[in-house]
Amino acid sequence: MPKNIYLFSLQTFSTTGGIQKMTRTLAHSLYHISKKENWNFRLFSLYDTRYDLMSQYLPPENYTGFNNSRLSLGFRSIKEASHSDIVILNHINFALIGIVIKLFNPKCPVWLIAHGIEVWRPLSFIKRTFLNRYCDKIICVSNFTKHQMIARHRSDPDKCVVLNNAVDPFIKLPEAFDKPEYLLNRYGLGPSNQVIFTLTRLASSEQYKGHEQVIKAVASLKQEFANIKYILSGQYDSVEEIRIRSLIDKYDVRDEVILTGFLNENELTDHFLLADLFVLPSKKEGFGIVFVEALACGLPVICGNADGSTDAIKDGKLGTAINVDDLSELQNTIVRYLNTPLTLDKRKNLQKECLQYFDEKYYQEHLLKLLNNEQAA
Amino acid sequence: MCQVLKHGGPDDEGIFDDTGARLTFGHRRLSIIDLSYNGHQPMADAQQRVWITFNGEIYNYPELKAQLISLGAKFISSTDTEVIISAYIHWGMAAFAKLRGIFAFALYDKEKALTYLVRDSSGIKPLYYCAKEGQLSFASEVKALKAAGLANEADPDWQIRFLAYGHIPEPYTTLKNVYSLPKGEFLCWNHKKSTYDIHSYHVIFNKSAIDDIIQAKEAIKENLAFAVRRQLIADAPIGVFLSGGIDSSLLTLLAEQEKKTQLKTISIYFNEKAYDESMYQNLVLKQIEGEKFSHLVKQSDFEGFFPQIIEDMDLPTTDGINTWCISKFAHDDGLKAVLSGLGADELFGGYPSFNRIRYIKTARKYPASFFKLANHSGFDAYRKIAFLTYNHPIADYLFLRGLYSPADIAEILDTDITHVEDVLFANRKLPYVRNYDEQDAAWFELNLYMQNQLLRDTDVMGMSHGLEVRVPFLDEDFIRTAESINPTIRFDKSRPKKILIDSFDDVLPEPIWNRTKMGFTFPLQDWMKKNQEITDESLYNRNKSKSIIKSFKNDSVHWSKAFALFQIQMHA
Repeated sequence: MPKNIYLFSLQTFSTTGGIQKMTRTLAHSLYHISKKENWNFRLFSLYDTRYDLMSQYLPPENYTGFNNSRLSLGFRSIKEASHSDIVILNHINFALIGIVIKLFNPKCPVWLIAHGIEVWRPLSFIKRTFLNRYCDKIICVSNFTKHQMIARHRSDPDKCVVLNNAVDPFIKLPEAFDKPEYLLNRYGLGPSNQVIFTLTRLASSEQYKGHEQVIKAVASLKQEFANIKYILSGQYDSVEEIRIRSLIDKYDVRDEVILTGFLNENELTDHFLLADLFVLPSKKEGFGIVFVEALACGLPVICGNADGSTDAIKDGKLGTAINVDDLSELQNTIVRYLNTPLTLDKRKNLQKECLQYFDEKYYQEHLLKLLNNEQAA
Repeated sequence: MCQVLKHGGPDDEGIFDDTGARLTFGHRRLSIIDLSYNGHQPMADAQQRVWITFNGEIYNYPELKAQLISLGAKFISSTDTEVIISAYIHWGMAAFAKLRGIFAFALYDKEKALTYLVRDSSGIKPLYYCAKEGQLSFASEVKALKAAGLANEADPDWQIRFLAYGHIPEPYTTLKNVYSLPKGEFLCWNHKKSTYDIHSYHVIFNKSAIDDIIQAKEAIKENLAFAVRRQLIADAPIGVFLSGGIDSSLLTLLAEQEKKTQLKTISIYFNEKAYDESMYQNLVLKQIEGEKFSHLVKQSDFEGFFPQIIEDMDLPTTDGINTWCISKFAHDDGLKAVLSGLGADELFGGYPSFNRIRYIKTARKYPASFFKLANHSGFDAYRKIAFLTYNHPIADYLFLRGLYSPADIAEILDTDITHVEDVLFANRKLPYVRNYDEQDAAWFELNLYMQNQLLRDTDVMGMSHGLEVRVPFLDEDFIRTAESINPTIRFDKSRPKKILIDSFDDVLPEPIWNRTKMGFTFPLQDWMKKNQEITDESLYNRNKSKSIIKSFKNDSVHWSKAFALFQIQMHA
């Protein structure tokens, strides 16, 4: 009997954030594993539509977008429940779906992917019921999230498995590491500029990303490093734009900070190449897929030490984790990196090291093992 | 190819071949600056390291030239073309962002074995390219690529896009593998590897927001006057299109203030009273001194011009007839360049879509399937509501500006509705935040409607008469100014374009701004209804089209829909 695997996702293709990127890679891996093993795999994506699909990740036959119709998704999950062999819920918000599937098909293992802040908080009754009574395995994207599941929700440690996210299989991995000329032109930079780079969603409702700290750090470092530039990228809302611009004015870093807004996906690698250091001193990254993307392009990273980011830098092997509330620690770490020039060889090595841990092929191997174990059980 | 594009460049022709690199540039010239042979193109630097074929105008070339001279550059001609070459030699790719103007050019760097295709930041000048099988070809019009046999195969889905939008949206064309280069971007072709990449050349800068009304008015005044001043630069006769609306009246009066040469104006009027703007035109004309050309356009003229308009449009479109006519008159009156008021509505909220966009926000609170009912509406105008079924920014845009609904398109073209949906929405990601506010509306209007329909039609219809249409409101620096104004000031709800009107209340006569908006509209419902070809039901293959044409004859369908079907039928 072929195995039927279903992955439920809130949103996969119609917007681009950490969870969406992770889901694309997960779906890609599941699709390839299933093809090899002769299993059936299908991705259900609630908020996406048929035409949002990026078909490089999986073909249309293996994908259904529900165009925000919870009702259709509900009916469909009931319809598929009886012949499901493994159901993977990519968000705790699918708790009710998980319970329903279990009621229709108690033998079907139901897994939950636990990312970050969506589970590091008190959960509703339904979510708790699902977690404690119906969920067979919790795939945690980082050790930090695993600890949170155990500490906050008393999840069974044996049920919690850590599966770190992988580098997107379609990211353009650089072979040469020169700074792209077109970007130097665009931002008015020269070879002597030392570029710090942050890429994150800049939402007024999410005030934990730490870009404010970096702006402050740049303000105090600009005397010592006359050629310092800070490129702050990511889609922002108008409230956050106003806040950032007033911070830039307040700390007098108009010449140092470059606010780019939304970054086109096909220019992502080139921005990592343009930079000398990636800094995202965030407090609430479940894993921080952007760190492994930066590292895969040979760019050193500074992250926070109190969330899932530490997994992405392999506990300090690949980057530096800092206390994000300690501005001087952030400054000193930036100084340390800027004072150690980044050679092309170093970049190449960093890329190699990163891929040793976070290449999708290892992710697929790990995932296959988990799926096979479930089948054996 | 050059022969096919002769209408846009009647003054000269040139070819450059580099057989070693297997490269050829062709050029047809419309001479406006430095009318001598010094402006002959393709042009190269003295060492013949860099070659260019360039269409358009660089307005800030005198300033750039002065900078380059101070860097040691030498110039032979007084052309802006030579300034681009020199700027590239001195600044490399960084030169592109320094250019202010309307341009599309190809530049070949022999030493580096690279060819750049570059398009202006507002997308005013067109540039189409085809990159396949290790070969790059490009032209200002799609028909040139077709005529040269470089791209023959039709894009199988162009009709779906055309019926939904009323034009072919960028980057698509009617031909497979032929695309429009996005505005503000450049394509770099590597001759050694026969590969290419496309990037934006925009320079990012920290804009300071304008939160104060007085400051906003001053900035608008200063920057618009500056844009008009630098866009009047020409060695050939230049004029202004005057419709009688706020935007063209303002440009006319500002251009008059410059008075470098006597300003010529071109206007159109109709016997149909509902469309006649001559009263408003005369109010402005009274204040200026130069030659005033005014032309009456009648149904019989339209009938006479119609076959040529169809011939000249290059890509199917449901607009541009007005620009074609006024460009013809401007050309016949001896002009080579004109200013047009295009762009002000988009920048300052002059369209009803700036209010209508809020309906989408409300609509999103209801189940999407509810809007499917619109497909059964007997009122043609309501059928577009079906676009609210789709949770996609393109669907939002098409709800505001679209022509036919997906269900109607499927019926007209006898295809599956899912296919129509896939063509319209798949792989079309738009980088905008969805707040359904005026800024979103401005984004739609500037980047979709104006870009794909108004600018394209204006350029192609102007160039079909060897006329360059310049658009001061879309001067890069003026757009920056407008966009830096706080949205509550920029889109003041008490009156469309209030801040623009207030900035020039000492220049604009009150009757011009205190009136109902008309737009630059022709009596096309009447004229097309009298056109025997468009209304000949037997021309149309499918029943759906026949019934739409029938309804058009009863006035229950808008002329643009009938005109679109007519063009689909022509290509069938």
